[in-house]
Amino acid sequence: MNIYQPHLMRVEEIIDETPDTRTMRLRFKDPRVASSFSFKAGQFGEYSVFGTGECTFCIASSPTRKDYIECSYKKVGKATTGLRDLNVGDDMGFRGPYGNHFPLTLMEGKNVVFIAGGIGLAPVRCVIWNVLDLREKFKDVTIIYGARSVSDLCYKRELEDWATRRDVKLWQTVDPGGETPAWKGEIGFVPTIVEKAAPRAENTFAIVCGPPIMIKFTLPVLGKLGFTDDHIYTTLENRMKCGLGKCGRCNIGKVYVCKDGPVFNAAQIKTLPQEF
Amino acid sequence: MKKEMFISDSDLRALAQELLTAGTAVIAPVQKKLPLGERIEYARVQSPDQLVFNQAVSANSLKEFIMPPTVAILCWKQRKAEVELQEIPRDPTPQVVIGAHPCDAAALAVVDRVMDWDYHDELWFDRRNQTTILSLACTAGDGTCFCTAVGLAPDSSRGADILLLPTANGFRAEVMTDKGEKLVKAHIPRFKDLENQQPLPALEAAKKKIAANLRMDSKAIQGLLEKGFEHELWKTLGLACHGCGGCAQVCPTCHCFDIVDEPEGVDQGTRRRNWDTCQTAKFTLHGSGHNPRADQNCRIRQRLMHKFFIYPEKFQEVLCTGCGRCARVCPGGMDLPEVLKMLTAKAAL
Amino acid sequence: MQALRTLARKLLTEGTVQVVIGYENGPRGARPTFVTLPEEAERLVFTPGCVQNLASYLSPRRNHLRALGKPAVVVKGCDAKAVAGLIRESQLKRENVVLIGVRCGGVVRDPALFEKLSLDTVADRCGDCDNREPKLVDHLLGELPPAPPASTRMSERMARLEAMSHEERFAFWTEQMERCVRCHACREVCPLCFCVRCLADKTMPQWIESSAHARGNLAWHFTHAMHLAGRCVGCGECQRVCPADIPLSLLNRKMAQIAAQRFGYKVCDDPQVPAPIGAFRKEDEQEFIR
Repeated sequence: MNIYQPHLMRVEEIIDETPDTRTMRLRFKDPRVASSFSFKAGQFGEYSVFGTGECTFCIASSPTRKDYIECSYKKVGKATTGLRDLNVGDDMGFRGPYGNHFPLTLMEGKNVVFIAGGIGLAPVRCVIWNVLDLREKFKDVTIIYGARSVSDLCYKRELEDWATRRDVKLWQTVDPGGETPAWKGEIGFVPTIVEKAAPRAENTFAIVCGPPIMIKFTLPVLGKLGFTDDHIYTTLENRMKCGLGKCGRCNIGKVYVCKDGPVFNAAQIKTLPQEF
Repeated sequence: MKKEMFISDSDLRALAQELLTAGTAVIAPVQKKLPLGERIEYARVQSPDQLVFNQAVSANSLKEFIMPPTVAILCWKQRKAEVELQEIPRDPTPQVVIGAHPCDAAALAVVDRVMDWDYHDELWFDRRNQTTILSLACTAGDGTCFCTAVGLAPDSSRGADILLLPTANGFRAEVMTDKGEKLVKAHIPRFKDLENQQPLPALEAAKKKIAANLRMDSKAIQGLLEKGFEHELWKTLGLACHGCGGCAQVCPTCHCFDIVDEPEGVDQGTRRRNWDTCQTAKFTLHGSGHNPRADQNCRIRQRLMHKFFIYPEKFQEVLCTGCGRCARVCPGGMDLPEVLKMLTAKAAL
Repeated sequence: MQALRTLARKLLTEGTVQVVIGYENGPRGARPTFVTLPEEAERLVFTPGCVQNLASYLSPRRNHLRALGKPAVVVKGCDAKAVAGLIRESQLKRENVVLIGVRCGGVVRDPALFEKLSLDTVADRCGDCDNREPKLVDHLLGELPPAPPASTRMSERMARLEAMSHEERFAFWTEQMERCVRCHACREVCPLCFCVRCLADKTMPQWIESSAHARGNLAWHFTHAMHLAGRCVGCGECQRVCPADIPLSLLNRKMAQIAAQRFGYKVCDDPQVPAPIGAFRKEDEQEFIR
């Protein structure tokens, strides 16, 4: 055994969220690991197919739901192609959990606004479920989510679920031109909808995740609404291999995304050098 | 047992033979004959006659004996949907290094820090724990050595289990650790009373010479690098650099690695850890095609940052032991002592 | 040397080029240098220590150098052949570079160790140099020195290899490849290895294993030699930079011999002369097609 040895997982369910994004639900093959495994929202792992290599994704399911973990990903290269070739019932590997996590205890008793774009909903969804499973600990919960088009919206079945909950305010949007005739949600880029939704900054934490351009334009909107940098959280990604601070690959200046991250608040992001 | 003893050259070679006979691997500087000429390099020896002492810095470092250029992490076998993982047997072969340069022994101790950072890297420490190091103080450093500038010295005992100081008739042996003591006890007839054996004057001369090669201010450089991410010096420092990573290969403290899966047949294979270097373009290339370090200037900056700012920030010591190999091997003529001198000067401004 | 400095100063002052890539004296002998200001031209030198092939800095991969602007490059005969290769293969437009040719009498194989040229110190390739006055130039400087010491080291090593049986040769190369650590320094310094994405770096599919075992190393080096066949100018930089001192020039020299035998082709510094890779002649032998 060594620290690079993964747990064996069985693919239990495969859901194609969008034409290019897939979610997999995985179970630990070893029942002892299954019952003892725990993690915190925001942490990531190294998912591998033996033969094509390891990929780094956040754990997209909530720590409150035991017995399984989930990941969502797009096919971009060799390792993710290997993952796409898996079928239900196949074995694969998982190493983790690594990294830091969202400070949920800080957010207890406060309002939480989730802002996500495209596949950026995956790391945020983990926290959403974590919060909703412990709903009474948090005050107002707002979710603002958008994608390029209707077909690019991830977790459609969960969006339906959140839309019907009385204790969640959900805004869904697609980019202008991405709507279908049947679309009943908003039309506009995510930062625009955040401005429209105008969540109160007082006593509120924001969790933002999505394409860099979305984050770039969302942060000033939140600033205008009164959110302070230490109340805005996001996750960064970077090229990773070991996931545990030794291979020397994922650092941004002196910050190791795998150890000091992947969760950062906007104040920390502002101190990072332009190397990501 | 005394901490300071004497061992003659012939006794040291006899000790090597005893180790070989017992099945222990012996690694030492040897004169290697190659198609292109001869050079001094560390190698596993078959006979004590191969050991060469008091010569120039060896071409390679000890890194490959603790962290081989490629090493298996695990093996897998697959039958339809089922995967069976096979552990790699943890290599029990003990090894003894006789005649390590102090910069190379110290380098192993420096890298220990990151290999033990929160997660204890068994691949590194298994071999590390099985290795006993007899450092030999240097009398033959050249104009590119700069161990003194990074807090070491030609007679540093950092990382050594036994430190050998050359004397007129052999070596003064100073036992530094329990591992060293264990080795001495197992071969006690080879070690004699120290009597009057003094280290060669060449040792003091070497210390003075190496100290004169480079004077640098590590703390000042660390400060400059911390604040100087956008400094204009990065625009020109990397022009000659080919991005070959030769520096990282020969460097005793560079340890960055890659993890790859290698199928060996249709249904089995090995997952390996391989040496890698931040100097190549694909080191930080994302699957999306985005590269945070898109040109050689950025990559040279990363190398210097990692060694002289990031590592000291985390572990309170630089990721460099002043062996000078990077400067000797660089095809573009980049010279680290020259760069460090320049950084010290800039930091003083 | 003064002519070189004067020319460099002129080119920079007049704005003909924005950078002069030449040699300077460094802590360990002559090394590449990049002069962007006219007053810095004083540090340019040309001595027997100038062994590096500066043509590699013209490769399109070096985006940080392209950003400096139009270059002038100091080229020896062997270097000029590499520039011709880049032009021939459309990696460089002739009008985008100013070539400062230098008449050359040979260089030492290690500028850090040797200053003077002798049979012992001369680089392997100089023994049978056929291009002491490069022709692919905008300017040609220097007096023609005496011919380099006629070192036979290279031909002796080739002869030793050719005397071996196939089994012995394979064993020889396997032994050499055990030492390779896959740093790819040989590729990065080669002026003709300009592919932005090398075959060896492709993962889909993984044509060549990236691990440093003999199997992967042999695959890499044989592929590399094949990709350089008919293109390699024999500058020997790959061998000089190898941290493991693997005799790579032997492989490339053999490929050059085969290119000469089969296609009557010898690498030259005229970009108009087509190379076997990239040109087809009706007279090319095709006995391997059955």
